[in-house]
Amino acid sequence: MSLTIALAGNPNCGKTTLFNALTGARHHVGNWPGVTVERRSGTFEQDGSVLEVVDLPGTYSLAARSEDERVASRFLASPEVDLVLNVLDASNLERNLYLSTQLLELGKPVAFVLNMVDDAENRGVHIDVAALETLLGGPVIPTVGNREQGIPELKTLLAAMARGESNRCRRITVDYGHDIEGELAKLETEICRDERLEASMPPRWLALQLLENNADAKRRVEESHASEAIGQQLAKSFAFLEPHLGADGATLIAERRYGFAHGLVKEVATAPDEGQTPTSRLDAVLTHRWLGIPIFLGILALVYSLSFVLGKIPQDWIAEGFKALSGFAEARLPAGELTSLLVDGVIPGVSAVIVFVPVIMILMGCIAFLEDTGYMARAAFIMDRLMHVMGLHGKSFIPLIMGSGCNVPAIQAARTIESRQDRLITILVTPLVSCSARLQVFIVIAGTFFTPFKAALVIIGMHFLGLGLAVLMGRMLRSALFSGPSSPFVMELPPYRLPVLKATAIHMWEKGSVFLTRAGTTIFAGATLIWFLSRYPGIANREWTAQYQDQRQAVQALKLPAAETEDRLKALQLAHESRIVNTSLAARLGQKVEPVLRPILDPDHKRAEAWKDVIALTAGFVAKEIVVSTMAVIHQASDEPKEGERLSPLQVALRDGSGLSPLTALAFMVFTLIYTPCLGTIAMIRREAGSWGWAGFTIVYGLVLGWGLAWVTVAAGRALGFA
Amino acid sequence: MTQNLSIPLSDLQPGDQGEVVQVQAQGPIRQRLLEMGFIRGVRLRVEKLAPLGDPMELVIKGYHLSLRRDESACILVHRVA
Repeated sequence: MSLTIALAGNPNCGKTTLFNALTGARHHVGNWPGVTVERRSGTFEQDGSVLEVVDLPGTYSLAARSEDERVASRFLASPEVDLVLNVLDASNLERNLYLSTQLLELGKPVAFVLNMVDDAENRGVHIDVAALETLLGGPVIPTVGNREQGIPELKTLLAAMARGESNRCRRITVDYGHDIEGELAKLETEICRDERLEASMPPRWLALQLLENNADAKRRVEESHASEAIGQQLAKSFAFLEPHLGADGATLIAERRYGFAHGLVKEVATAPDEGQTPTSRLDAVLTHRWLGIPIFLGILALVYSLSFVLGKIPQDWIAEGFKALSGFAEARLPAGELTSLLVDGVIPGVSAVIVFVPVIMILMGCIAFLEDTGYMARAAFIMDRLMHVMGLHGKSFIPLIMGSGCNVPAIQAARTIESRQDRLITILVTPLVSCSARLQVFIVIAGTFFTPFKAALVIIGMHFLGLGLAVLMGRMLRSALFSGPSSPFVMELPPYRLPVLKATAIHMWEKGSVFLTRAGTTIFAGATLIWFLSRYPGIANREWTAQYQDQRQAVQALKLPAAETEDRLKALQLAHESRIVNTSLAARLGQKVEPVLRPILDPDHKRAEAWKDVIALTAGFVAKEIVVSTMAVIHQASDEPKEGERLSPLQVALRDGSGLSPLTALAFMVFTLIYTPCLGTIAMIRREAGSWGWAGFTIVYGLVLGWGLAWVTVAAGRALGFA
Repeated sequence: MTQNLSIPLSDLQPGDQGEVVQVQAQGPIRQRLLEMGFIRGVRLRVEKLAPLGDPMELVIKGYHLSLRRDESACILVHRVA
């Protein structure tokens, strides 16, 4: 005996906490088909029945306008759902009941959870549960989800309903009044002409949605053979109702629903105490006219340092660990293709995936914490004006700032933005924000071609350029891709609540493991591909390998002091790798595309080896910091400075041998900033935007924009007289 | 009579109370506002403006909601003393 229960309710009604309390750790996180809305489902056993619970996205209604609402309303109407469990926030009953009036129309048994009754009691709201049961026509269980109060009773009830032993459900619907009910009945008659349409959802529910002018419902009707008759009746109903009742269908229906909810609340609940709530006292400070912004920036700085300063510690351990592992493997295994695949392909690939995990978990934990306390809505409230000017949403601010640490978790952080348009734009512009990996490239290049002071200015300039571009592109994408009106900013400011730390921990774990399984495979595959491009065919050249081995043995046979032997061996290794990389497929690619990059990297046609930059940039696709280590290999010069010298051998080689001038070096940096996000970011964009199309779009627009701005840099620089 | 003049919600100042007369917005925004409780005769109170002057925070049906000026300008209200 199994039963599927759909958990429905408003945002912030404690639905997820209740879901965790019901299912414990036994749940699965995925996406709803075709959309990037998270689908959580889990099971629990009670009195011999296995019950499946599906947590729907929190919605205020089933009007099916946003992605979330469409997912919820379609799933609720599907035959898969046996029972609807409507979670109500006891301290905000009236608005929560609006959704209930719609759920009651679905023709399925509905049970109710009156959650957070403690909050309501504290505000002086006492609710008569028995009266509420009578008026709603279904069982009502009072709970305090975060303290698991009422959960056993709820489980018992659900199991009884699964066995068909509870007949506490009576069919109750809102009475829309004589006129509307009359029109509904007429519409129902027309709908019932099409049996398939009639079977797909209760005719009355469809009729209501039609009167509300719901686009999804209209689409359903259009597919029916009775669409003409239904359309005619609908036009008649509008023509009758509007002049008669003085408003359009949507208004009239909303009024009746709220009338029902208002009357019900008056009947069963006492009015809340007057006076200040803890939330309004907190908000007096947290969204204060002068204090609000500094406090927000302080919290942001804290989250940033937790994620990227504290998170860097385990990240360094992981990176060091993998480096040691590949060093170990390289020392023990004979030089050759397989070793190279392991040492230069697989191990760095796995490392490139795992290093993100600590940062992702910490940042997602912080964001979940801010979200669950209710502060995230305030952050959006405070920053919305600024972000709106940029064509973005208040909640876009946090991903953009976090992007300067690492784009990957920043894109994941965009999940908090409800509207798909706003979320997509935020995801697409976040890669323009310069991250800490690109910083490493800038430090090396700027340090080579500029004095320390100017180099610092250049690096700061790169960061501002990235942010500025994100803003500019945000505006452009908004007007180019989404010509319709921007989504409304109608955002609830929920009461502050103490989050359940267990829920935050579960959330962190989910985000980390989802990243490993979903994005991880993409990153790993990409890293292996880049390894292939940058090592073949040279790595398979047995003669070279044999020569390299002979040279090593020759050095070792000299019996020089250990340090000198080490240095010489390193130089040999660099020479060997350099030979492979400089004749690789990536190098051939570099020679092919060099003409395209010539205007930005070699405007005077003086650099014979400009194609080598392409190898570094190709390798940088895996992770931007790899640009530096690849350059070290290409130019056969270590990127670690010797003691007492300002410039590393690589920097000296770049300055003296690469042919880059300060101006083209600057263009190189601009291009590196923009050209394409790293593999981790691409994988995350694919996941969060829901298609390879958007990931591909990001790569293409990055390349075009990067080239364009690098060209502008060179052209402007030359016009101003720099070489 | 001035008491009963319909004005846009965006004209109310923090601390002011009003009663909804009509939602003039069209399309999805209209539906969303109706669902959130902006129906004829409902009382609301403007709580404050965000530090940068927009959006506004208001209390309606016992909960707190924030609206941009773009949206609050298309809701007509009566000022209530």
